[in-house]
Amino acid sequence: MITDKIINNSSGFTTKLYLDKHISRRFNEELEQVRTLVMNMGALVEQQVNDGLSALLNADLDLAQKVIDRDNDVNNMELEIDEYCTKILARRQPAASDLRLIVSVIKSITDLERMGDEAVKFGKNAIKLAKGNLSENSCSENSFAETEGARPLIELKHLGNHVSKTLNRALTAYAQMDVQQALIIIKDDKIIDEEFDNNSRLLVTRMMENPREIKNALRVTWCARALERIGDHTTNLCEYIVYLVEGKDVRHGNMNRIKVTPPPLEISV
Amino acid sequence: MKNLDIKQVELTETVGNIYADSAKMSIRNADVYYGSKQAIHNVSLDLAKNQVTALIGPSGCGKSTFLRCLNRMNDTIDICNITGEFTLDNQDIYAKNLDPVLLRARVGMVFQKPNPFPKSIYDNVAYGARIHGLTNNKAELDEVVETSLQKAGLFNEVKDRLKDPGTGLSGGQQQRLCIARTIAVSPEIILMDEPASALDPIATAIIEELIDELKEKYTIAIVTHSMQQAARVSQHTAYFHLGKLVEMGKTEDIFTHPKHKLTENYITGRFG
Amino acid sequence: MINLKDNSKINKMSSTARTTTLSTTEKVTLSLKKRHQKERRFKNVGLFAVLFGFMLVVVLISDITAKALPAFHQHWVKIDMDYKANWLNIDGSSKQSILAKQMKKANYRSALKKSLYLMFPTPSGKSLSRKDKRQLFKLFSSNAEFTLKDTLITTPEHLNKQISVWVRLDDDVDSYLKEGFASGEAGLRLSKQQAQWIKQLASAQRIESRFNFSFFTASDSREPELAGIRGALTGTLLTLFVTLLLSFPLGVAGALYLEEFAPKNRWTDFIEININNLAAVPSIVFGLLGLAIIINIFGLPRSAPLVGGIVLTLMTLPTIIISSRAAIKAVPPSIREAALGLGASKMQVTFSHVLPQATPGIITGAIIGIAQALGETAPLLMIGMVAFIVDVPTSIVDSATVLPVQIFLWADSPERAFLAKTSAAILVLLTLLLVINLTATVLRSKFEKK
Repeated sequence: MITDKIINNSSGFTTKLYLDKHISRRFNEELEQVRTLVMNMGALVEQQVNDGLSALLNADLDLAQKVIDRDNDVNNMELEIDEYCTKILARRQPAASDLRLIVSVIKSITDLERMGDEAVKFGKNAIKLAKGNLSENSCSENSFAETEGARPLIELKHLGNHVSKTLNRALTAYAQMDVQQALIIIKDDKIIDEEFDNNSRLLVTRMMENPREIKNALRVTWCARALERIGDHTTNLCEYIVYLVEGKDVRHGNMNRIKVTPPPLEISV
Repeated sequence: MKNLDIKQVELTETVGNIYADSAKMSIRNADVYYGSKQAIHNVSLDLAKNQVTALIGPSGCGKSTFLRCLNRMNDTIDICNITGEFTLDNQDIYAKNLDPVLLRARVGMVFQKPNPFPKSIYDNVAYGARIHGLTNNKAELDEVVETSLQKAGLFNEVKDRLKDPGTGLSGGQQQRLCIARTIAVSPEIILMDEPASALDPIATAIIEELIDELKEKYTIAIVTHSMQQAARVSQHTAYFHLGKLVEMGKTEDIFTHPKHKLTENYITGRFG
Repeated sequence: MINLKDNSKINKMSSTARTTTLSTTEKVTLSLKKRHQKERRFKNVGLFAVLFGFMLVVVLISDITAKALPAFHQHWVKIDMDYKANWLNIDGSSKQSILAKQMKKANYRSALKKSLYLMFPTPSGKSLSRKDKRQLFKLFSSNAEFTLKDTLITTPEHLNKQISVWVRLDDDVDSYLKEGFASGEAGLRLSKQQAQWIKQLASAQRIESRFNFSFFTASDSREPELAGIRGALTGTLLTLFVTLLLSFPLGVAGALYLEEFAPKNRWTDFIEININNLAAVPSIVFGLLGLAIIINIFGLPRSAPLVGGIVLTLMTLPTIIISSRAAIKAVPPSIREAALGLGASKMQVTFSHVLPQATPGIITGAIIGIAQALGETAPLLMIGMVAFIVDVPTSIVDSATVLPVQIFLWADSPERAFLAKTSAAILVLLTLLLVINLTATVLRSKFEKK
């Protein structure tokens, strides 16, 4: 009778994911486990990004080394989740939302792993920047950081904060399967791109002004580039959220397909 | 026989797309009653030409009943009462002047349990051609038997023992014999009621491969309990629930992002 | 904390409960002995029932066989027959053709008597007394004179010669020789003098026991030593032929119609109930029906296998219909569906698939019905098949009787020799039954192979 009602009031459209309620309780547990693992990996990657950033900004060599070392954990987690997903695919042959969950997880962890790699770049560059400044320029210990070169790093800090916040929002959306939030984040990626462009322009100007600083400026550019990449990976994560929940692929400018989604958002696509 | 226009019906209960670009068979507003019990509620759908349409759903959802309406096999059940429009190439198959014998020659059926006649392999395949008088002489009949067995992928296995009883074959071979028997009448549509449910995975795979080949020439509707099978062999999938057609659409859509909660629950193995 | 405590309490309780009660294995072991005992007891009871039934059959068959054995042989006696022309009242000098005619009309009885008196001269040389003469003549079968006649006609040159001829002994003498009871006893039809003569004949090697062919070649007779079952057997076969011819096609057609074609409604339910009831109607009622309608209204001949067959058809039809329907029902519906799905018409489905599949079952049912008809007496009594008929019937409209009725008639006869004949006829009936059942089994396996 209950099912009848669902049919009759035509509210039977799948608008929300239910990971539980499988007839097989083991399957529920396995899917929950996969999600937990992904969220753990997300948390670790977020920490890596944040730590990498602060190591870079504060020239914290210990923290930088820590970030480099911890990348191994991220890689191992990717392998573990990959294997777990393969096992579920082989044993459960998931369909529909379960299938989408597994597919999105497999894709998400690749993006998360890449973000981890980008965080390692922060660490490496932080060490190189610090060491380069120490050996080459004894007169100005942290010239790039505090003297006239402070501007690009401040810009970088700005960009970093933004990306870090976006990543945090994306992971929250991932945990809550929040499509609307995800769509907002996808749209907000443009802001990150614009900030990166500004940053690049500034650094190019700086390099032209002071050719001696080219080496360092390039390092900062690479870090900015890494931040931009993290932003892109975050966008990918959000696209997987939409795919997971709505079953629609919004990658590569397919955003207009999502128009049919019932609650209209403030985004104009 | 008058030609009927395929009506565009208002979908009140079905989500997705029931229409096919080139429909071989169209069913509109079908209701089936067993006595006072209604088994099928207002089902409308098209069977796309030269494609495989899978009917899935939990036990007792009416998918087999629906399938049996398509070649009037339910006529043999006295208490079964069918209303709605069933058209094959725009001809009403429940028209008073249409002989069900003719219809069944055009719409063949393969059953869940392999049910070869207790006769020789040759006679099994030749039976349909014989009763309908499709061949003029023995040579023609031999050819029909051979090509049918070949189409069913069975000829090489049985060519040396055509006189042996069909019941002596293995389960998978028996089912292919039944398919060959159906093909021998050269129908336009083949209805399959869980054709592989009694077979082992290898035999199942062979049957599925066969279905894929057969769709080049025939329009196929298959009832199956195995969702993987539906996903593998069909181009369109219709999900039945409690006698209603809940959702119909392209198979890949149904199995990746079904629109209806009930479909989702069924194909992912959740509580309804 | 409270929860934890509660849990531990429960755990403790359950563990104590486990130690005081027995484990599953122990419980099962305890009950196992009892269960095995029950099983053994039931097996023994079943075995006893089977053995008891088997024993009864063995006792019955051996008793009947023992009683029937004497009927299969018969004593013959060699007498010295004088075919004297004047005794036979024949003119020996007449022409061959006239002689043959005269031989047919000759008085063999008196010639036999005179020959016998010569065979048994009195010690004093006087002729026998009238009583002795009568007693002596009674030692021989009333058929003896005909045996003599046949012998002379086949070999006319024996005329006026003394020839040794084998003739049958009377049934009383036959019984006396077979059973060897004391002569002259009360209730026995053999005097001391007769016994004396028999002894004399036996010691002279003149008495011989032969296989009783006439039991199978002769028809009924008032004289036990002459009575045979050929007439009854032929009557039975003719009646069964008519029964089979009518009831098999009718029964199968009826069953097929009811199972495959008839709509399921009140009418068919009503018919089904009636058929089931018909199977339980006492058979004598069918006999009355046959008498009232078939003989009185349609005017068919009385005592004829045709009428008997019709009456038995009425009786066996329900059995055949019911068993045929069961056999048809047992044909898997998948076969019907397969044929229907190929576009076979109902008729084609029925005759090319259902009927061949149901044939073994239908044959079994038909045989049961025929076997039932084979042993039926009551309805045949009503239509006059109980008459004393000496001729062997040659067509289905001749007067005839059937084996069970013959058995009934013989069992009713006072002559001692008919006792053995009755048992022998029963044996023949049982053999016929066996043959029919064997045929059924052979047919069945043949159809099942297909």
